[in-house]
Amino acid sequence: MIEIVDAGRWTTIQDRGRPGLERFGVPSGGAADWFAARVANELVGNRPDAALIECTASGPTLRLDIDRVVAVTGGRAVSAVDWQAVRVARASSLAIGTIGPGLRTYVAIRGGIDVQVVLGGRSFCQLGPFGGGFGRPLAAGDRLRIGEMVGHEPATAPWPPLHRLPQRGPWEVRAIAGPQTDAFAGDALERLSATACRVTPAIDRMGLRLDTPGLRLQSEEILTVPMTAGAIQVTPSGGFIVLHVDHQTSGGYPAIATVISADLPLLAQARPGDTVRFRIVDSTDAARAWRRISGWLEIDP
Amino acid sequence: MWQVTLAGDRALLITLGTSIDPALLGQVLALERALQDRRPSGLLGTMPAYASLLCHYDADVTDAARLGAAVRQLEGTVEAAIPSGPSVDIPTRYDGPDLPEVALKTDLTPAGVIEQHAHREYLVYCVGFAPGFTYCGALPDRLAVPRLASPRLRVPAGSIGIAGRQTGIYGVESPGGWNLIGRTDLHLFDPAADPPARFKPGDRLRFVPAS
Repeated sequence: MIEIVDAGRWTTIQDRGRPGLERFGVPSGGAADWFAARVANELVGNRPDAALIECTASGPTLRLDIDRVVAVTGGRAVSAVDWQAVRVARASSLAIGTIGPGLRTYVAIRGGIDVQVVLGGRSFCQLGPFGGGFGRPLAAGDRLRIGEMVGHEPATAPWPPLHRLPQRGPWEVRAIAGPQTDAFAGDALERLSATACRVTPAIDRMGLRLDTPGLRLQSEEILTVPMTAGAIQVTPSGGFIVLHVDHQTSGGYPAIATVISADLPLLAQARPGDTVRFRIVDSTDAARAWRRISGWLEIDP
Repeated sequence: MWQVTLAGDRALLITLGTSIDPALLGQVLALERALQDRRPSGLLGTMPAYASLLCHYDADVTDAARLGAAVRQLEGTVEAAIPSGPSVDIPTRYDGPDLPEVALKTDLTPAGVIEQHAHREYLVYCVGFAPGFTYCGALPDRLAVPRLASPRLRVPAGSIGIAGRQTGIYGVESPGGWNLIGRTDLHLFDPAADPPARFKPGDRLRFVPAS
């Protein structure tokens, strides 16, 4: 068992999410920084679909009633050894503490976290709310069962620094034009690329509101259309809402461009006040970026 | 002419039109069925909304160009009909916090707003936004009012709202910018049920004032 001694700011159980349920209004969800989560599972020898703990801004303190290998990845957790498998002794505690640079830290425990599967996943979904074992973020006193979702031996070496994503801004985030680029003037993409956007405090797993100093794109509301994670929606006031993993599955603000899958983890680590610049790329660039990261994950460190 | 656009590097959006129109929804649902029958390689799932269909694909198996071509092949060949799903009555308490304001904006009494909204049959055009949220239309022109200037952070599950020529029911508590005119006790979303959402596009709803 894992006991939550202190819950931290906003700590939830996540996995790879629930793709394919958008038609019921359910977002795909899962770990906001899918890459860091995947590495954490890899380091402890878990299967890629094992559930783990996602910490936000300030992490929890955990106590285990059994010797266990754990790995901490993602945003820098000041008081934890990160990006490598470490053994936590029975009855000793693991304190994640303040997170930064970066915003979200992942804690994988060998075997994964065994909470009830809801709609095909163990992830907590904020809209509902459901999943994540309790249908809410973790609270002090919660006890979590450790599962058996083991795939291979834990890694013996730290995860190579060259095979990690940036953990601090300013962020360069690549996006593909569309799907509603036609709702904007012809030079809108160029103006978007030339703007240093600023992350506001209004950020969560559903999306990030960005200020766009000096840029005000004009558009009309559109007929409700399906929406994906990464969609850069332009609101009537001209600001952006970039949809993230627990995104609304449809919406009426046009999306000028959509962040590529390889760069969605960057938005999970962006903090209020950070600068974000979007760079428009094509499908070939997006596929290349995906292959690059996938290649890292095939290497056993 | 269908418009096929990239929605990132994992999905294509097929846009068939830009209006709230039962015939367009019929075409969207027919396209969706045709894709389910043909199962183009790499297609993971689809999501319909009003006049468009999102197609999620596995980028390790296919790409946007190949899937787009498979969709294009269906253009002009799908047999569409006006959707005619089951008709369901929604017991409604018309006590929403925005009812007085909607009455002012539409130059009706609150009872007049209820009379315009209730008893007519609406088509479900989309289940989306948040779990179980059910978009219906089309609202009579007389009731068309803009969204709230600033959205509420919390709208309770079961709230019934209107915006433009749409009316909808909130499936779970969520943020929301529609004008709330009523409530229902019906549960629209249950993660333990199969399917988890009570309604689907093509169903028909009637709001019936609860006595």
